[in-house]
Amino acid sequence: MTTSSSPPLLPPRPAPPSARRSWRGALRQELFATPLDGVISVLLLAALLAAGVGFWHWAFRQAQWAVIQANTTLFAVGRYPLLQQWRLWLLVTLAGATIGASWGLLRSHPRADRSGTLWPINDLVAIAVLAFVAAWLPVALKLPVPLQLRWWAITALLLVLRGVSGQWGQLVPRRLLRFLPLLWPALYLFGMVLIAGGLGVPRVPPSEWGGLLLTLLMASFAILLSFPIGIVVALGRRSTLPLLRWSSVLYIEFIRGAPLITLLFLGQNILGYMLPGGWAPDRVWRAAWVLTFFCGAYLAEAVRAGLAAVPVGQLEAARSLGLSVPQALRHVVLPQALRIALPATVGQFISLLQDTTLLSLIGLLDLLGTARTVMANPEFLGKNAEVYLTLAVLFWCCCAALGLGSRALERRLDPSHSPT
Amino acid sequence: MTASPLMIEARGVQKWYPNGFHALRGVDLSVSRGEVVVIMGPSGSGKSTFIRTFNALEDFQEGTITIDGIALSNDLRNIDAIRCDTGMVFQQFNLFPHLTVLENLTLAPVAVRKRRRAEVEAQALGLLERVGIAEQAGKYPGQLSGGQQQRVAIARSLCMEPRILLFDEPTSALDPEMVGEVLEVMRALAADGMTMVVVTHEMGFAREVAHRVVLMSEGQIVEEAAPTTFFTNPQHERSRQFLAQIL
Repeated sequence: MTTSSSPPLLPPRPAPPSARRSWRGALRQELFATPLDGVISVLLLAALLAAGVGFWHWAFRQAQWAVIQANTTLFAVGRYPLLQQWRLWLLVTLAGATIGASWGLLRSHPRADRSGTLWPINDLVAIAVLAFVAAWLPVALKLPVPLQLRWWAITALLLVLRGVSGQWGQLVPRRLLRFLPLLWPALYLFGMVLIAGGLGVPRVPPSEWGGLLLTLLMASFAILLSFPIGIVVALGRRSTLPLLRWSSVLYIEFIRGAPLITLLFLGQNILGYMLPGGWAPDRVWRAAWVLTFFCGAYLAEAVRAGLAAVPVGQLEAARSLGLSVPQALRHVVLPQALRIALPATVGQFISLLQDTTLLSLIGLLDLLGTARTVMANPEFLGKNAEVYLTLAVLFWCCCAALGLGSRALERRLDPSHSPT
Repeated sequence: MTASPLMIEARGVQKWYPNGFHALRGVDLSVSRGEVVVIMGPSGSGKSTFIRTFNALEDFQEGTITIDGIALSNDLRNIDAIRCDTGMVFQQFNLFPHLTVLENLTLAPVAVRKRRRAEVEAQALGLLERVGIAEQAGKYPGQLSGGQQQRVAIARSLCMEPRILLFDEPTSALDPEMVGEVLEVMRALAADGMTMVVVTHEMGFAREVAHRVVLMSEGQIVEEAAPTTFFTNPQHERSRQFLAQIL
């Protein structure tokens, strides 16, 4: 018996042209599809235009930016001793070099099978923006010419290293490449020594740190240390050992039940008794530890959500292959849980960065604290708008950098297709 | 002629779930080296729970289980040793989605057996060849079809060079046209003399490959027979009912 001939299968054909709309058609579709849409669009455009013109007029006609130009050093590093500021320049130079090299190496080593996630156009935009800001900002701030030259040199170094490592990064042997991320913790530790002194470098006590330097230092310290705390406490909360579970819950709920400003004041008073002698000798470090433990509690909840989202079959599969619990956590569960928790984690880091402004309320001269001393100076009375706008832009830049970095990391860690 | 040594010996296994449900009610089973045993039964009959006790994914309260001469107890070293020698293939594959196919295979041999990566990779590529998907080694599990994922899962178990393979409904989550390719791999393994305990509803596989078919119901073994006897002349009323339902 033979089967009768089946009808022929249709070959695929290209999509009809109507699916690809012209930009004018798209504009009409998006903004003026119905009369009501049109009215809303026109009103909103008018409001945006008015706000934009008003802001432009204020920023470039009325505002007097001398309050910023005269205090750039104060905003950047507070009262850090002038003669020791070469250490900070060295640190910025090293950071620029590390950023440039890492950037280029990331570009020259796309992960296998994920080439679709690389957008070279983003790189060009980033380079253009960076070059423009670096060229324009030192002039706009009326920095002395030697300082302008330094900023340009550092930017040039960053871009050149990015270009070189992007072009020839392939030549770096794989074995060496695995250790290159260690440059970052090394840079951080070296930076701490440069800032604080020690190892033969003269000490600069924390009371003399200030401005953006203090803000970034506090935020980065809390971010780096709260991350492991968050992981350990999240695992503790899911542990089968009752004592470990209860103390994790107690810690999380205590921290989450109190406003940060209360904890900061409390920390100034009692942390000296709680930590072993010499660990919290200084007001700045006490505040840093409070920020760390505060952030750690919230991170623990983010990580716990990530752990809960990993199917139980993953642990079972790992265990049935003979992996011990720590091995299964390290190789199988945590990589997946942390990737799931990444957006929430970075959101937490961003609010931590903004929460550092509370340090000004306990008398530390972070960015906001510095701004308040500047605004209290009779010479610059009434220049609050200029100062606050500058702070807002600075914070926005830092948070945008964190957000962009996290999205890039998310894309890089994403297995091209999630499993069903 | 001497009998082949026992690889699995379960005696009077009793298990209660924390909610008090009596899941296993005195189950006995012996599996010799190179034997293929298929466990069938309605859902909720305890068959998955039973084979999950063999590598301590489930605990049990009474009875004894001996795997290749090692008694399952609360001693964690015993459990780790047994798990290294007992591979398990799951209904939902449970591949590690953040690792490539090759990394899925090499993870355990490198981390647990402390073998050299290059050597394990060569072995893993050979195993992928054997299950017919060597060309997918660099892909991520999410890029593969269900049948391919399950074949990777089998290869991942084999990479630890187990002496027993447990299959927990390996084809139940697959689209019908992919069941065949997985069963074919399992057939080849059985022909190579692997000791296998398979929970499945695939009658064809049971009839052709199994040395023994076991029917479980309500946490007990109802019938245990060679496949021809089981399918053509079941001894118990419960077996006849079950066969009538799935035929």
